[in-house]
Amino acid sequence: MNRQRRPRPLRLPVLAASAALAVITVAACSSAASSGSAAGSAAGSASSGPITIGMSLPMTGPVADVSKSGYQGYELWASQVNAAGGLLGRKVKLDMLDDGFDPNQAAADYTRLISQDHVNLLLGTFSSLLNAPASAVAARQGMLYVEPSGGAATLFTRGFTDLFFAQPGTTTSLPDQFVSWLASLPASQRPATAAYVTQDDPSASPAVAVFKTRLQALGVKTVYYQVYDPSTTNFDSIAAAIAHDQPQMIIQGAVADDGAQFVRSLQKLNYNPKVLFQTNAPTDEAYPSAIGGAANANGVFTAQSWSATAYYPGNQGFVQAYTKMFGAPPTEDAANSYTAGQVLQAAVRAVGSLDQSALAKWLHDNTVSTIVGPLKWDKAGDPEGSLLLSQWQHGTLQVVAPASAATTKTVLVAKPAWENG
Amino acid sequence: MTGLLQALVFGVLTGGVYALMATGLTLTFGVMKIVNLAQGAFLILSAYLCWTLWTRLGIDPLLGSLIVTVPLAALGIVVYRFIVERVQRHDHGLTIVVTFAVALVAEAVIALIWGPNPTATTPAYFNQAFTLGSVTVPRAQLYACLLAVAVTALLQLCLKRTWLGHAITAAAENPEGARLVGVEPKKIGTWIFAIATATTAFGGAALSFLYQFTPDSQDTWIGLTLSVVILGGLGSVIGAFAAGVLLGLAESITSTYISVRWAEAVPTILILLVLLIRPQGLFTLAARQDAAV
Repeated sequence: MNRQRRPRPLRLPVLAASAALAVITVAACSSAASSGSAAGSAAGSASSGPITIGMSLPMTGPVADVSKSGYQGYELWASQVNAAGGLLGRKVKLDMLDDGFDPNQAAADYTRLISQDHVNLLLGTFSSLLNAPASAVAARQGMLYVEPSGGAATLFTRGFTDLFFAQPGTTTSLPDQFVSWLASLPASQRPATAAYVTQDDPSASPAVAVFKTRLQALGVKTVYYQVYDPSTTNFDSIAAAIAHDQPQMIIQGAVADDGAQFVRSLQKLNYNPKVLFQTNAPTDEAYPSAIGGAANANGVFTAQSWSATAYYPGNQGFVQAYTKMFGAPPTEDAANSYTAGQVLQAAVRAVGSLDQSALAKWLHDNTVSTIVGPLKWDKAGDPEGSLLLSQWQHGTLQVVAPASAATTKTVLVAKPAWENG
Repeated sequence: MTGLLQALVFGVLTGGVYALMATGLTLTFGVMKIVNLAQGAFLILSAYLCWTLWTRLGIDPLLGSLIVTVPLAALGIVVYRFIVERVQRHDHGLTIVVTFAVALVAEAVIALIWGPNPTATTPAYFNQAFTLGSVTVPRAQLYACLLAVAVTALLQLCLKRTWLGHAITAAAENPEGARLVGVEPKKIGTWIFAIATATTAFGGAALSFLYQFTPDSQDTWIGLTLSVVILGGLGSVIGAFAAGVLLGLAESITSTYISVRWAEAVPTILILLVLLIRPQGLFTLAARQDAAV
């Protein structure tokens, strides 16, 4: 490799022109041959040796801790598949690259996985931010793309037919269970006013917009609406404005730590909404301690794609196997990765080959039983279900809806006042 | 009107906290011309130590901060004598690099000891507030602001009324002259680092009950504290306090009347304006006039 070598100055124009010509020629050749070539290569690769499954994950960077458990979900799935004889009689091997939570790097990684590593199958990365460019790369190369997260509605309006979301619902259906529950309350018990705050995030902000529209239709008056930057760490001003408007209900599109930070700002003002719903943040096991203890989490609603206590086939086995393998109970991210693996596994076993188009067609035509419940998709890969509605109750995140997955029949209608930790 | 009053109250209280966080940095930056990028990590370390005292022994963070000053002062001495001072002898410019390295190591050590999850203390007053008419005053922020006033006043008193304070002021204004009258730079440097690092105990205590923190929270706070120091003027403790309040007010009013999203850009915009219009900082002149009295 002579990447470090520099051409002599006098030859620079000649060399630059030659290099440009060479690059254009190679690009033209590869472009001409690219249509369907990756998919063909993946499907037609040697039938001996392991089936390589490629993925890129943000193993470093701001969400590294979350990604680790996500990768462990993939690892557990692969180890169980291999222990059961593999896929199509071949062992499964994971080829994982690190994108550092950089969308450009994620796209580059998936290009490398397909073009250089010649992986047989793909599994998705984390967040809508990363899955958007990664799934576009897969679509261009005709590769099936099953993603464990990335539920932003915009991902499913691009006309891709080989993208499948391995969760029961997306941001559009996120409010379903909560709104249904609220609608089931007598009008006198329903909050009359609501404040909406959301991080400017491709998943969170569309979900909050849907909340606002649907709750307004129920007669809940909007008194405050604010979108904040992902880098926001101080929520005092937002909390003060909300406390001034006195909404009975607050809906927050929280992505990570912003959920607890916002609650702490409300606590500093000792402002207690009657109902508090936050996306994502309350599913973190550290959430109760970050807001002053389990008593303060009491009554907080969230939406979950998966629950450790849900009675779906294989779920308890997954929880036990994961805990045994990694020494800690699985997170939602681990479960989502495992589910993506289950989806891929079901398609490959049913089709009996690695033909990417055939795998996608099978998934469009069938329902897959997974640890997050039965999954079925529309033409765009958008799942035709809804997320679980959960609520913190006495230190446990309980599933309260739908009834088929509920772990308790009790729902705390009014959130208790904040307590000292 | 209520909105404006609330914004002003929040601005002043938040600004006081910013000032508290920046006090140590203004000493090392102003007197020694060392941009101590480890100051943010020391702040987070203090927050974790206060959290540990609170969770293990039930000691209130405000009280715990007094205890934490001792190990933090010792840490400041060790970092200066064994790392910064040695590097400074060869190349003063490298001190920014070495303090950055110290910050990275400190962050890793904090993560190893306490783990990566966000945490915070919740003393009795963390979710209580006074109500004055239609304006709400959070007790936690009020206490943090009062702590900032107390620390600033104490430091200012030390700088004006003690031999050490005079020596520090002399070293800041005329290093060569100070050396001629027996003020040894190494000794003064050790004292400044000890005091600067010890003051992070108070900032860390306030941080522990006002906000969540993780080992990498230093990134947020080092940026804010540098903004305060640049705005206030190098080496001016009172200037840093005033700059902190100014920054807090600007953020609060921007959040209330323009947008929360613009509030994030306020420190950067203020720094750009100050560097263009008054590069020595807003309050440097006042501080020097004070020093000359």
